[in-house]
Amino acid sequence: MKIAVCLKLVPATTADIKISSDGQSLQLAGVETIVSPYDEYALEAALKLRETNAGSSIQIIAIGGDDALKCIHHAFALMADSAIQIKAPGVDARAAARCAAAVLKTSVPDVILCGRQAVDDDLWLFPGALAEALDVPHATAISSLSVAPSGKAFHCRRRIEGAEQSIEIQMPAVLSCDKGLNEPRAPTLKGRLDAKKKQAVAKTPAELGLSDADLQPALKVTRYAPPPQKSPGKIVQGEPAQAAAELVRLLREEAKIV
Amino acid sequence: MPNEILVIVEHADGKPKRTAFELLSVAVTLAAGGEVHAMMLGPGASAAARGLGEWGAHFVHTAEAGLENYTSLRWTRAIADFAAARKPAAILMAAGSLARDIASRVAMRLGGSLASDCVELALGGAGLKLTRPIYAGRARVTAEAASGTLLVATLRPNAFTVVKPAMSAARIVVPLMVAEKPEDLRAVVLEVAKAGGTRPELAEASIVVSGGRSLGSAENFKIVYDLADALGAAPGASRAAVDAGYAPHSMQVGQTGKTVNPVLYIACGISGAIQHLAGMRTSKYIVAINKDPNAPILKLADYAIVGDLFQVVPALTEEFKRALRG
Repeated sequence: MKIAVCLKLVPATTADIKISSDGQSLQLAGVETIVSPYDEYALEAALKLRETNAGSSIQIIAIGGDDALKCIHHAFALMADSAIQIKAPGVDARAAARCAAAVLKTSVPDVILCGRQAVDDDLWLFPGALAEALDVPHATAISSLSVAPSGKAFHCRRRIEGAEQSIEIQMPAVLSCDKGLNEPRAPTLKGRLDAKKKQAVAKTPAELGLSDADLQPALKVTRYAPPPQKSPGKIVQGEPAQAAAELVRLLREEAKIV
Repeated sequence: MPNEILVIVEHADGKPKRTAFELLSVAVTLAAGGEVHAMMLGPGASAAARGLGEWGAHFVHTAEAGLENYTSLRWTRAIADFAAARKPAAILMAAGSLARDIASRVAMRLGGSLASDCVELALGGAGLKLTRPIYAGRARVTAEAASGTLLVATLRPNAFTVVKPAMSAARIVVPLMVAEKPEDLRAVVLEVAKAGGTRPELAEASIVVSGGRSLGSAENFKIVYDLADALGAAPGASRAAVDAGYAPHSMQVGQTGKTVNPVLYIACGISGAIQHLAGMRTSKYIVAINKDPNAPILKLADYAIVGDLFQVVPALTEEFKRALRG
């Protein structure tokens, strides 16, 4: 089975997101970075598929500069077979999907695994956009995955509001992965040492037939801002029963809810 | 300058989902005198269309044939074919599992832009202007879609005010034919297993009552469920409580769980780690019950009780029951 995994580097989920005083840019230099957590489930799913399907190979796709190389190094330490770095630093998710499609369309893998959302832009764009660009089906935020008896499709499950869907999806397909799909393994020492010997293939967007216009941002950012600050709240005093009664009164009369 | 706006209205149990009215209110503003078209897909769409009443849509396009079982490709085709012909300025969807599945595909097929989970959306100087959270809500970005380009926007539930139109539009229900192409069946839903139970869905609830690891056990979560049931609320849990096995993952609120935006969020024994706040910080009113006066969540709470949750939460349940009995 030919397996591809798309990885993105993001600020750590506990990192402070600083905004310039004019609100025109984010100040992320020096912030701790990680592979986007949902992408880790995608990588683990790839490793499991390779283990259970003899003759399979895992190709990593990462778009960016040093950030992409960091993702690739992590994947090499987990024994990915090959990697392509597309040198398009700072492009948005739509441009990234176009880059990944340009690389993958010449030889579409059986499965392309991604995280359900990148935890920086939280856009939920990349997997569906990539599937559309490659004209393959996709499944979003899968929480279980197996190969169908035919060997030409996957069975997966996906949580939606109040229910769970069981999906059959033909290969080739893009699958975006949710928490609960698996437990990502850590690289071994041997993996980390081997990673140093492995090299990604670097491509520029131009080499892939993409123009500047293809990489233009989909939306024009006008401002960054911190989340709205709330004015300090009220601490309701008293013994449990009294405090409870007072809180209910405040919610009804002051907040006018309930 | 008037715009045409397409709204994807989801429906369940024979009526439009609550989010539909928020979407239509926004659509009317964005249309600036132009036409608002609603689209309802899947079994029961025509019947549910009646529930739209006089809310803002000039036309409601309903399609049921060929849409008996959900396939992302056919839903994408239904929306994209319609939009390709009519060229609306924007397609609005509620931020939820349907939008997360197909909004990206629709935007890509039509060469448009996607803005997910918008908390603001309005007419701007040069086109449509939106604000959405990024970095799990640690920042917000305001951006514009250039006029003449298509914006696919998914809107966070409860982030927009529902405004009943002053004059009812002459609402016309139009049956829509959706092309049934075999390639749409490359991904099909074989089965839908409903979660069961009568409690509201967490991501859609108006009131959420969540418990943290301080509850100490799955059995103790009963006090959270009792308060939730007294309020007709959805019960939730912090990641720590879920990881400890006190509540199922489906109840998890936070960065790696669900994002909720209820009118009232009651956090019982939750300290308020960044990752939890990411999932609930835009709730209209936040109530925190915690014995630690320095718990981070207290900084975000509109009202807080610093005390023992095992005494306070049951007392609250009693008080709400008393108050709601009238």
